[in-house]
This record gives sequence, structure tokens and C-alpha cells, in this order.
Amino acid sequence: MAEIVTAEELAREQEPRLITRHTFGVRVVHWWTTLTFLYLILSGFALGYPRMAWLLDVMGGGQSVRFVHPWVGVGFTVGLVFMFAMWLPSMRFHSVDRHWFRNLGEYVRTGHTDTDTDKFNGGQKAYYWFSVINGLVLLITGIPLWLPDLLPREWNLAARFSHHVFFLMAAGFLVVHVYLSTARFPGTFRSMTSGTVSRAWAAFHHPRWFRRVDAGREHEGAD
Amino acid sequence: MTTTDLGLTIRRQSATPASGTNIRRDHSTPALEISKLVDIDLCIGCKACEVACKEWNDLQVEETHLFSGYQSHPDLTPHTWDLMRFNEVELAGGALAWLIRKDSCLHCEEPGCLLACPAPGAVIQYENGIVDFNQDACIGCQYCVSGCPFDIPRFDTVTKKVYKCTLCIDRVSTGLEPACVKACPTGAIRFGTKEDMLAYGLEKVEKLKARGFSEAMLYDPVGVGGLHMMYVVPRGEILEQYGLPVDPTVTAPTSFPSLIGALRKVGATASWAGLLAAAVYFLKTGKRYPPPEEEAVAAAYEKAPHG
Ligand code: HEM
Ligand code: SF4
Repeated sequence: MAEIVTAEELAREQEPRLITRHTFGVRVVHWWTTLTFLYLILSGFALGYPRMAWLLDVMGGGQSVRFVHPWVGVGFTVGLVFMFAMWLPSMRFHSVDRHWFRNLGEYVRTGHTDTDTDKFNGGQKAYYWFSVINGLVLLITGIPLWLPDLLPREWNLAARFSHHVFFLMAAGFLVVHVYLSTARFPGTFRSMTSGTVSRAWAAFHHPRWFRRVDAGREHEGAD
Repeated sequence: MTTTDLGLTIRRQSATPASGTNIRRDHSTPALEISKLVDIDLCIGCKACEVACKEWNDLQVEETHLFSGYQSHPDLTPHTWDLMRFNEVELAGGALAWLIRKDSCLHCEEPGCLLACPAPGAVIQYENGIVDFNQDACIGCQYCVSGCPFDIPRFDTVTKKVYKCTLCIDRVSTGLEPACVKACPTGAIRFGTKEDMLAYGLEKVEKLKARGFSEAMLYDPVGVGGLHMMYVVPRGEILEQYGLPVDPTVTAPTSFPSLIGALRKVGATASWAGLLAAAVYFLKTGKRYPPPEEEAVAAAYEKAPHG
């Protein structure tokens, strides 16, 4: 029987000194929320913007989109709960994060600060908390749109307005997130595919985390 | 008569830009505007209009259940587009008044249902003022249900689409009056040009005032741009008891349809501006590679607190 070679093992075969950043489970949860969320954003644009209504046809017809969107929203929320739980230990703010936020301008200009960053920098932590809270608000404001008989008319209208506001914020920050984790910082995207990063990447972007892993004080990939 | 005479060119469609196909752009020749008018003073509550509506529109008969009063069904449904509502109220002096109102779509000039609808062409407004649902294009989201200030559209859980009065557009387009108008034995439901109906209504209000109904009014609220089914209401002071909102509004800048419209513009602008900014930022700053491994690792250890 052929042995199963994981993406991570395959990557290490070519470059033995790689560090595992995100375990298989973490990656599954992340791509689950990503795929469901991308569907929600696209169908959200289709339902919210008349000029994007052609997307309704592309996505299987308006009636199907209207039916599927809320259920995908539920699926996304389930993923979000896992994401919340799996990353919570790494996402608590510490005093080093203050240093990172003070140097935000430098980070934007040069892509780097000399903060002694841990597993995630201040911006990543902020994005995590934003995602969790925004996801919950989208769920809560989405329910009256899903089942309009629950609440009076004015509440439904208010829910639609708020759902749209938070949808725009989510879409906006997602663009930033995708840009930073792909085009801006080479070597980052692979942490969500094979799960590995180079030692140089780890030491440069997340020195504090790197030192712990390097000294064997932290299990690779642990959060 | 041509369709232009009957005002049957399309004026607006849900989720469709004003430049959309089929939408008439030249408004130099004003179209014929039509209206129904319900003179509540003349209505005897016989429900002939209800039956005529069911018959003409081929709507299935629905079982009803016993509840007090003269009303045939408790509420409008996907198969009941016209319902006589009966409400017995005690007036200020202790006398009783029996309020009877024909409840069906009012064909607003600024229709909350149309403004709320995200499906292109599912709600259509014709030049003559008729607001009609096109179930082929309906996606069943029910935003119109929340959008309508008069609680008119009804969702069919079987077909997953919404339904309401069409103002008998299939009759009007051949020059006939709507079925409810034709069936009314007292002439309480009238049909004609909006101009004629306004004239009749205002005259009738004066007559009612002369008869002692000091608060008599013509119900044609500006907050929805006026109606294509108006009411002559004898007791204007208790409008809400008839089931009519005193000040329905969908066009005010602070109303949700306007707010959502404004938000959409902000969203569209921000989306394009954001993508543009990201592209420019990328062109300016490009990628940031880590330094060579030894250098990066050495720098990481330099940051370590002592010990
Ligand atoms: C195509 C879409 C996406 C791509 C390419 C992407 C890529 C990535 C990558 C490479 C990382 C690892 C960063 C690191 O290890 O430092 C990451 C982390 C993360 N992702 Fe995504 N992601 C996407 C969509 C999403 C979505 C939709 C959400 C939220 C619902 C999300 C939430 C997060 C969070 C909270 C983290 C940890 C904090 C951070 O790195 O900012 N991602 N993502
Ligand atoms: S009464 Fe309601 S359903 Fe009829 S046109 Fe006005 S908003 Fe639309």
C-alpha cells in the first residue's frame, strides 16, 4: 500500500530546515472559513448591488442564491467558532503589540517594524478579533433578512442596513488580508498550503515565536 | 389606442439602472396616469370586489376559519389580493363606528417594494402608475414585504415567490376597468385618470365636511409620492383605526430605502477606490522579502531579552 505523503512532508523533503507554522487542522479551518466567506461576499455583492445582479445567474440563479446564502452563512459561523477557539491562545494582546501599533506607519511604508513580534503581530491579532466580531454581527443581522416574519418591518430594514455596513467592512479588510498574505510578503502564503515557512521568514516576521520554536521550547505549529 | 396612450411603457424596474432596456427615457409627452379611488363613505362591505378579484385572477379558494366579525379571511394571502377589513371602534363621544376598508396594493408612486427589491425586473412600475410583480424574475427574498409601508406583498411558501394585486393590468391594457371596480354595486370603487379621481375625491371630501365629518380627507400621502389607489376617508382623525399609516414614508432622506441607496453608492465607490489604492500601493512598495537566513536569525536573537 502506498504511503500517504502530506504536503508538509513533501515540502520538507526539498528543504529540510522548514518550520511548521500552521498544522493541518488549522489550515482546514482557515480554508473552510475562506471558501464559505468568499461565497458570501460574492453572493452578497450580487444581492446588494443591481449592477452586480448578473452574478446571480452565474451563481446558479437568484432563487438558489437566496436559498443558499443564509445556509453558507451558518456554515461560515461554525468555521468561525473553530477559528476563534484554535487561535485564541495566540491572539491575546500583549505589551509588545503596543510597540507594533506605534510603528504602524513604518510597517505600512516598509513592510517591517523592529518589534519583537510573537506568533502573530498586532495587525494580525486585530484582524482576528475583527473577523470574529464582524462574523457574529453579520450572523445576527442576517437572521431577520433570512426569516422576515420574526420582527417588525422597521427592524428588518435596520437589519438590512447594518448587514450591508458590516459586509462592506468585511470585504474591505479581506482585500487587505489577502494582499498582505500573498503579494506583499513572499513566503507567507505557503504557511496556509503546505503549512511551512522558511527559517528566514519566521525569524524576520515573528522573531519571538521563532526563538521559542528554534530552542525546541514550543511544539512546531502549536498555537 | 396604443400602449403609450394607456401608459403601459415601463417607467422603472427593480434593480435595474434607469438606462435599462425597455425603460422609457423620453418623458416629454406626459403619460396617462390612472388611479382607483375607494370612497369609503359609499362602501357597504358586501365583498363583491373580493370575489371578483378571485375570479378574474383565477386565485384559489381558501378555507377560512371562524373568527368574530364580518371579515371573510383574517389576512391577505398569496391567493387573496383584496380583503375587506372590518373594524368596530368606539368614538370619542361613546358612539360606535363601523370602519370598512378595502385592503389591497395602493400602487405607490414611490413604491417601497420596488426600491427594496434586489432582483432585476421582479417589480415593474408602468408609466400609468401600476406597480406589478413579475414572478418569473422574483427570487423570493421578501425584501418587498419589509419594504412596503402598507403590508401588502405576501410570500407563497410553495412557489417561494411573492404576490399581490396587479391593478388588473391585463384588463387595463385592453381598455377595461379592474375587476373590483366592475363588480362594486354602489360605485364606491372608481377608476379613471388620476386627475379625475383627485377631482372626485376632493369634491367628495367637501361634501362629507358639509355633512359633519369635519376631519374627512383624501388619502394620498406625499411620503410615498402619492397613490394610484386613493381613499376618501370620512373620519380622518382615526386614520390608524382604518389600518392606514398616518405618515408612510419611503422617500425621506432618513428613511431606510434612501439610506440603503446612499450606502450602496458609498460601497461601490469605496470598493473601486480600495482596489485602486491597493494596486497603486503594490506598484509603489512591491514585495518585502526576508533577509538571508543567517542575518534574519541573528537579528531575531538580538531582540531577545537578556538571559
Ligand atoms: C483568499 C482568501 C484568503 C487567503 C489567501 C488567506 C491567507 C492567509 C494566510 C497565508 C494566513 C497566515 C498568515 C500567517 O501565518 O502569518 C492567514 C491567516 C489568517 N486568516 Fe486568512 N486568508 C484568506 C481568507 C480569510 C478569511 C475570509 C478570513 C476570515 C473570515 C481569514 C482570517 C484569517 C485570520 C484571522 C488569520 C490569522 C491572523 C492573520 O494572519 O492575519 N482569512 N490567512
Ligand atoms: S402598496 Fe406596497 S406593494 Fe403596493 S406599490 Fe406600494 S409598496 Fe408596493
